[in-house]
Amino acid sequence: MIRIDCPWCGMRDEAEFTYRGDATVTRPGANAPEEAFHDFVYARQNPRGWHVEWWYHSSGCRQFLKVVRHTMTHEVRTVARATETPEVPSE
Amino acid sequence: MSVSEPHAAVAALLKPGAHGATGGQPVRLAVRDVDIVQLLARKGRAEDAAAAIKAAYGFDLPSPGRSAGGDALAALWVQPDGWFLIAPRGAEGALARAVKAAVGDAGSVIDQTHGRSVITLSGARATWVLAKECRVDLHPAAFGPGRVASTQIAHLACTIHQRDAAPTYDLIVFTTFAKSFMESLTHAAEETGYVVS
Repeated sequence: MIRIDCPWCGMRDEAEFTYRGDATVTRPGANAPEEAFHDFVYARQNPRGWHVEWWYHSSGCRQFLKVVRHTMTHEVRTVARATETPEVPSE
Repeated sequence: MSVSEPHAAVAALLKPGAHGATGGQPVRLAVRDVDIVQLLARKGRAEDAAAAIKAAYGFDLPSPGRSAGGDALAALWVQPDGWFLIAPRGAEGALARAVKAAVGDAGSVIDQTHGRSVITLSGARATWVLAKECRVDLHPAAFGPGRVASTQIAHLACTIHQRDAAPTYDLIVFTTFAKSFMESLTHAAEETGYVVS
């Protein structure tokens, strides 16, 4: 069980959240070429280590959060608001 | 129990009398007959909405995880720039109209009276019963009177408001799911016994 320290609600279990994917990619502009959208949708990294992810607090404050999670250990290092840029540990 | 529409159907799920285990400290279950209004401050207008509520009702809108006001009108934080306002049941739509008149264009007001129901769980062992149902830390060191948490109970969205140290909890759920919610809650309360008055 991952526990996520929501900046609004405090420490909650992952069951209250919905995983919303990679928070390090940016959607291409509306007029970007098809290749850019292909890469945005399919060409994703699958890092072993620290990763910044979107988690939606669907059963709490209904806010999107940026969670810095280790993909091997599931350790959660930082939980930030959507507008913030959390620091990612080097290892 | 005299409960008006739209909460009578939910109240009917509770049969008056004592249920479950006997000889211990039973908890009390009831349905509160209330009006519920959701207030959402419009973008960048949270301070204006808070000032309007302060002027109209005399209290500050609560910060995250907390409530303000009293039984006549309580405000519960439910999300950033979003609150529930709860008052004893009055004329249909009157609370929503009054809140909208107070906040004007600083906020959007949605009447949730029919959409949500408030179930009250109280008594010395209420925390013990509720702890079986939810994942929020209800220990007095982490929770207490005037605290609010939105979470899941029995896989259903529920907002918990601790009103006093008895303790008394208001459990705010979608009316359409209230029957399933009540089945889970009464099942959890059978271990201590529960009284419906």
